[in-house]
Amino acid sequence: MDRKLKIRLLRLTAPVGAVLFAVLLSSVFLIAIDKNPLTVYLTMLAFGLGRMDSIAAILFNATPLIFSGLAVAISFKAGMFNIGVEGQYFIGAVCAAWVGFAMPGLPAVVHIPLTLLAAMTGGMLWALVPVYLKVKRGVHEVISTIMLNYVAYSLVHYLIADLFMDHNQKIPEGLGSALIRTPKFLESAMMPTIHAFMALWGVELPGYIYVNWFLMLALVVAAGVGYLLNRTPLGYELRAVGHNPLSAEAAGIRTETVYIKTFLLSGAIAGLTGLSHLLVFYEYMDLDFPKNFGFNGIAVALIGGNHPMGIVLAALLFGFLSRGAEGVQTILGVPMDAVVIMQGIIILSVVVVAGILGRYLRRLEKKEAP
Amino acid sequence: MGDITEILASALRVTMPVLLTALGAIYAERSGVVNIGLEGMMLTGCFWGAYGALHCGAVNGCLLAILMGMAMAGIHALVTITFRVDQIVSGVAINILAYGLARFFSMALFGMATTSPQVPGLEKISLPILSEVMVLKPLVTELSPLIPVGLLLVPLTYWVLERTVFGLRLQAVGENPLAADTLGVSVIRYRYAGVLLSGAFAGLAGAYLSIEHTRMYVEGMTQGQGFIALAAMIFGNWKPFASLGAAFLFGFAEALSFRVAQNKVIPYQLIKMIPYLLTIAVLAGVVRKAQPPAAGGVPYSREGE
Repeated sequence: MDRKLKIRLLRLTAPVGAVLFAVLLSSVFLIAIDKNPLTVYLTMLAFGLGRMDSIAAILFNATPLIFSGLAVAISFKAGMFNIGVEGQYFIGAVCAAWVGFAMPGLPAVVHIPLTLLAAMTGGMLWALVPVYLKVKRGVHEVISTIMLNYVAYSLVHYLIADLFMDHNQKIPEGLGSALIRTPKFLESAMMPTIHAFMALWGVELPGYIYVNWFLMLALVVAAGVGYLLNRTPLGYELRAVGHNPLSAEAAGIRTETVYIKTFLLSGAIAGLTGLSHLLVFYEYMDLDFPKNFGFNGIAVALIGGNHPMGIVLAALLFGFLSRGAEGVQTILGVPMDAVVIMQGIIILSVVVVAGILGRYLRRLEKKEAP
Repeated sequence: MGDITEILASALRVTMPVLLTALGAIYAERSGVVNIGLEGMMLTGCFWGAYGALHCGAVNGCLLAILMGMAMAGIHALVTITFRVDQIVSGVAINILAYGLARFFSMALFGMATTSPQVPGLEKISLPILSEVMVLKPLVTELSPLIPVGLLLVPLTYWVLERTVFGLRLQAVGENPLAADTLGVSVIRYRYAGVLLSGAFAGLAGAYLSIEHTRMYVEGMTQGQGFIALAAMIFGNWKPFASLGAAFLFGFAEALSFRVAQNKVIPYQLIKMIPYLLTIAVLAGVVRKAQPPAAGGVPYSREGE
């Protein structure tokens, strides 16, 4: 029995242990600024889990990270590293923004899917470049995607400040010049929140938290990714290539095709990342459009063990951490950034524990073999 | 003429942080450890450089920045070399960690998350004799002393890598760790040295930014320069002199973009893309073949897993 059970148990408890270790380590910083870590963590828990608006905020925070985490995880499964999710979601968002403001007269049932399609196409296009370079010219995708992230930042900046800039905006009283932003999105492109739907079930969500249908879409995509990876031929090929590209090739799998398909899929999901903020919370795209969802997606994928369910949980954990941080900042005056530190430490301890555990388990399995 | 030297001088100033970080990256990469945490180490240098300069003077600020850069690099080394975790993963985590630490300590020590007070800079220097030549004036007078230091570090790095036992062993470890190990060269020790050096250089580069360039710490002030440094090193084919060339090329494009932005001929955002696009072009073999260290990115263990 017991070896199998033991392995399974270890796999489940290890990430939890790593998170606890990170929490312990982060306490050092809290003590350094004269705060009692225990009070801080308890406040975080009470504030983060004890109120309806916090729960809604956690769900809202987690939504983009589920998308970006899944995008990263798919590439991981095929043995690649898509650091370019950051750039892909920026390009996806700007494409969706364009569809959002430039196509009047569409009913919402057409317009909203069109924004999704635009975002996915944008993300795919931006993912196509590195994977093409990888397959055809042998360029490692890590470096090319890092570079493309910065190209994407600049390109989006250019588009917002120049090509898509709203020149017809009313300049607010007392403000000298027009804001650097796109025109406002049309009503038909905006994704509704889930408040009305939840009210049907007797759950009243506070109106100032914008948790929306993208959350549901994220969960559907997560389930879809799980199905794809474990129940379809492509998923099998993808994992085979990730495990050992040479033997996959020898078994008749065309690794290059798998790489391209994987990366395009990853890019398409990445493209959706920013939309739950863009098309719900923001009325237009400007330079304040949130960054770093892509990089945090890497963290989410790692902590979630590249498993769709794990990714959803890890995204919720991150959502909770930043919500809890808002709480301790207001209530106890602890800088929110303590939580960013904690996120960094969590990633490191999770990957270190996973690495050590992986080696330990391999040794265990080797022993078992006759 | 004056205009050109003016642009060159401003290019040189912009080049410095990228050059320093790229030189450091060479040590890490040549030893076989990819370090994409440079951005975070640089930011760490910016913050502690400003903090040190504010309280103990600019020189000590630089030293503190170097130490703190090395501390961050130490984490990267511990995680990737001792625990053999994927180097990219660790680098990503280091960047997130450094960003959080900088904001946290900025809040705790400066009372503001985003900026520090103004800090004193290093004493400016002017090169003798050359300063007499009118045309060269902007290039050789009122210089940050870190500029000549940075330039001197280029031949020094070349010398260390190619002419010293340390450098040759460092390269051996990055090319073929197993062979080096069999010959009694400690792979672990040399890789630690390479990574720590990269942290020291990135820390100094950060100090240059906060102490010399803007005279204060500003949140996120590295603005991807750590990644540009990585690009410069790749563009420079993992070699010091060529990396200087690449860093200067990028710096020149940046300096030019300030000018162009005033004329509005080409949007400056498009010029900002140049370093990144060039690097991709180099890697794609459009310009020439890239030759990274053979064992770069692969954790080393004697058991071979």
